[in-house]
Amino acid sequence: MSAADIELVEVHKHYRKGRIDIPALDGLSLTINAGALVAIMGPSGSGKSTLLHLVGGLDSPTSGAVRVGEAQLARMSERELTAWRSRHVGFIFQMYHLVPVLTAAQNIELPLLLFHMPASERRRRVDTALEVVGLTDRRDHRPSQLSGGQEQRVAIARAIVTDPDVLLADEPTGDLDAKTSEEILNLLSLLHADFGKTIVMVTHDPRAAAYGQRVLHLDKGVLDRDEVNPRVAQAVRV
Amino acid sequence: MALPLSYHWRHLLAHRTTTVLTVLVIAAVVGTQAWILGFSVAFNNSLAVASDERKIIVIRRGASAESSSALPVEEFNRLIQLPALAVDADTHEPLVSPELMVQIALPRRRDKGQTTGNVAVRGVTAAAFRVHDTVKLQGPLFSKGAQEVVVGVKAAEQFMGLQVGDVIRLGYGNNREYQVVGFFSARGGPLESEIWTYLPSLQSAHNRDTYSSAALRVRDDVDPHKVVEEIAGPAIGLTAQTERDYWQAQTSRIRAYRALVSVLVSVMAIAAAVAVANTMFTLVAGRTREIAMLRTIGFSGRQILTGFVLEAMMLTLAGGVVGCLACQVWLDFVGHAKDMYAATNFTTLAFDIRLTPEIMVCAISTVITLGVAGALVPAWRAARVEVVRALREA
Amino acid sequence: MPTLQRDWWALPTLQSTNVTLTYVLMRNLTRNPLRTGLTAVAFALPMGIFVLALSLVVVLTEAAAKNEKQLRLAVRNKMALTGYLPDGVRRKIEELDPQRQRLRAVCAMRWFGGRVPDTQDTLTSLACDVDTFPVVYSDFELSPEEGARWQSERRAAVVGDGVARTHGWHVGQRVELKSTIPPYLRLEFMIVKIIANSSPPNMFYFRRDYLRDSLEADGATGAGCNLIWVKCTSAANLRALQQEIDALFANSPSETKSEDENAFISGFVQAIGDIPGLARSMALVVVFIIALVAGNSMMMSFRERTSELAVFKALGFPPRRVFGLVLAESLLLALLGSLLGIVPTATGLALIPRQMLISASFSPPRFSALAVVGALTIGIVVGLLAGVWPAYQALRLRTTDALRRVA
Ligand SMILES: Nc1ncnc2c1ncn2[C@@H]1O[C@H](COP(=O)(O)OP(=O)(O)OP(=O)(O)O)[C@@H](O)[C@H]1O
Ligand SMILES: [Mg+2]
Repeated sequence: MSAADIELVEVHKHYRKGRIDIPALDGLSLTINAGALVAIMGPSGSGKSTLLHLVGGLDSPTSGAVRVGEAQLARMSERELTAWRSRHVGFIFQMYHLVPVLTAAQNIELPLLLFHMPASERRRRVDTALEVVGLTDRRDHRPSQLSGGQEQRVAIARAIVTDPDVLLADEPTGDLDAKTSEEILNLLSLLHADFGKTIVMVTHDPRAAAYGQRVLHLDKGVLDRDEVNPRVAQAVRV
Repeated sequence: MALPLSYHWRHLLAHRTTTVLTVLVIAAVVGTQAWILGFSVAFNNSLAVASDERKIIVIRRGASAESSSALPVEEFNRLIQLPALAVDADTHEPLVSPELMVQIALPRRRDKGQTTGNVAVRGVTAAAFRVHDTVKLQGPLFSKGAQEVVVGVKAAEQFMGLQVGDVIRLGYGNNREYQVVGFFSARGGPLESEIWTYLPSLQSAHNRDTYSSAALRVRDDVDPHKVVEEIAGPAIGLTAQTERDYWQAQTSRIRAYRALVSVLVSVMAIAAAVAVANTMFTLVAGRTREIAMLRTIGFSGRQILTGFVLEAMMLTLAGGVVGCLACQVWLDFVGHAKDMYAATNFTTLAFDIRLTPEIMVCAISTVITLGVAGALVPAWRAARVEVVRALREA
Repeated sequence: MPTLQRDWWALPTLQSTNVTLTYVLMRNLTRNPLRTGLTAVAFALPMGIFVLALSLVVVLTEAAAKNEKQLRLAVRNKMALTGYLPDGVRRKIEELDPQRQRLRAVCAMRWFGGRVPDTQDTLTSLACDVDTFPVVYSDFELSPEEGARWQSERRAAVVGDGVARTHGWHVGQRVELKSTIPPYLRLEFMIVKIIANSSPPNMFYFRRDYLRDSLEADGATGAGCNLIWVKCTSAANLRALQQEIDALFANSPSETKSEDENAFISGFVQAIGDIPGLARSMALVVVFIIALVAGNSMMMSFRERTSELAVFKALGFPPRRVFGLVLAESLLLALLGSLLGIVPTATGLALIPRQMLISASFSPPRFSALAVVGALTIGIVVGLLAGVWPAYQALRLRTTDALRRVA
């Protein structure tokens, strides 16, 4: 059980398209406490996914500093980032991104294969992760045999199986109906509450955002508003 | 630790049709390659046995092979005087063997006698067994008084009517009947494709008073090439070649044939590598987002590259195994025997094509190398997938 | 305010679906240039071998067909090719048909094994009966003058174009050959005729009376021949004579084996390397490979586009057209690969001087329109076959399923 805080200082991320310079993030600074559940909202193209990619070490900022726990991501090489990711971050995507030819359990097991770990230990962890997401009875099913909600739960299990410090979710409910969305969001809250993970979740859905203690509003690559959600903030503090 | 093997073969299974078709392409190439390797090995083995540097084959000047050579007895006698000749340890006789070669047409076993091949019949004396020290009798020797022959094991395998008790007809006008009394082996060398009988008997049967050739063995302390020059010199005036040179010249056409087949097989192997590349490109292209996910989780570019190379290896390995099996089945079906004429004398050299484990390993590893070469670029491309961009493609 | 015209919203007439689909077709081939390229190369390489093999087979088949028309029967010593037949055999064969109704002429030949001095080039050199040679080998088309020279010049020689080109010989030239068989004579000849398209290219025919005299002058016996050619008047007569001749000499000291010319040649060719057999089996392997390559490529590109084809159907393209689209793509790809393999190979065969390819013992492949057409046909057939299965799947595609399937 671990968590990391996140700090961005004057982060710029520019994309060059020929001669046009697109600032996806334009001097963004923010801090997220360890163990927080933060929702990020904002219009399409405002830089939400870009932010998530930077925090997850998938991409490097044009300028500025990104710190996650001890790690200064902007200074790390591609190789160091890769190694860092495998230990410290779990990703959850809108499109699940499961490997279609592997079963649920094998999909969850994938990140563990990067570590020297006996098969029994891997199995134990996969079982735990499956239990957490409530899919123990679906362990040997292929993604095509699962519903969207179940697929997303497998993806969440895969994200937590390495016990990362940070969970990053990009529109995790974007493809799901209201009821399933609620299940997934409850699952994320649970992970947050029971395991104390730092969770950053991008969403367009105000109901999903309501699960966050804080809601960050991005617009045109800068922080537009930073709301504290009193209800949730209190609920967690209790 | 890298991606599990099951991840890869599951993917190959998922693209069943493509996988099977690619495997078959590789199998076709490996199959032909295994065949030509088998042929080459049989051929090389045969020549390796027949490359004794201390054995010299002497024929009449102007002749191109034993079968077209006529060596008068006087000229042969000049050879006996050669000081460089080795001497038999027991009998103290010089190791020189007068020989007469004729040919007979015999029906091939392979096509149940529809075609015939020319088999060399060699008339020899006891000296021959000391000069050609690779020759080992299996069973009795022909007796000098009766009309009897012993048959090389390859000849017996390839041609009909050469089993013990069978009768072959020799002699001018084919009027002499010789009985097969036993076999001999020669460590797989070309002599195994021959039939041997007693020299004086063969001479009288064919109305010849000359020999065809002489085989002699030189002492260990002399340079055989010097002896070759001496024999060719004015004092003796015959054509001599070490056994190796003689057979190199006799098999020039077979080597050309082998070179031709090898070139064709190489071209096909390149095509197979391209086919593997094509398949791998498709497998990679269809999995860009999956690769991005793996990179997100923390798999390194090198691990992804290794994974795809491994996948290509599985593909080619399967093709290699299928190809070797097919070649084996084909050989079992049409027979392992192949015989070809030597360059100048139209006598048959028989080869026994076998797929040894070494050959299979060689054929399969070649094609795996090619497959890996073909997979390298696609795998490299997979490793270089831009994670962020690929994720956006969702 | 102008009134809205009644047909204002009417759509223009439907564009011919063929035009649309042809556009799509071309786009599909260029959409994945890498695959198109790799497939074409993987197709072209074996195709090149195929053209080569086929050219060779065509050359040999043509030669065989030509030989067959010549109705020649080869009679040789049953026991060994190198064994001799007595000279009396020719006469006995001629006596089988004194009226010359079934056989036209009989020509005996003796192997000389002549080598061009100071080279390793041993020619297929045969001493032939002077009187019957021009009749038995009427296909050499000796002109009256050439025929007269053959009759009058004792040292006359008729040689293959291959050997003539290799050594730069021309008609009227004196050449020397050295025999590689006892008693290793060295003889001088006078070339009277060069045979066009000689098969094998290294033939060298000369007069047997000249050889006999030379042998006897050397103290050797000049009697005996290795091979007797019997020119027959019909295929049926040839078959009959084949049996009669072998029966005539059965159980005699000189038992014979008779074969028609093609059987005789193929027995020979097989043993010296069986290049024709090799060409045939290579052609088979290669067709197998290109079929798989094409099939594979089509399966791959179809898989990727299942949903796209479904969209076509959803938009109202008739299934037959979609079927045709996939098939046409496969065909086009196969054609591309075929041409890539055929054109350079055929050009090479047409342009590379023949003498560069000529080897001593077999006719090299030469450019053959038939082989090119054959290879192209195989390419087209393979392309069609490779496309049929994916095209059929496209035809059967349930639009709703395909669209739901998220690739
Ligand atoms: N590889 C790229 N090249 C050029 N521009 C890019 C690239 N990736 C992102 N952008 C631009 O950066 C900006 C921010 O994109 P981002 O994906 O972060 O937005 P978002 O907030 O996640 O939008 P959405 O809600 O639609 O997912 C957009 O204007 C986008 O066009
Ligand atoms: Mg986004």
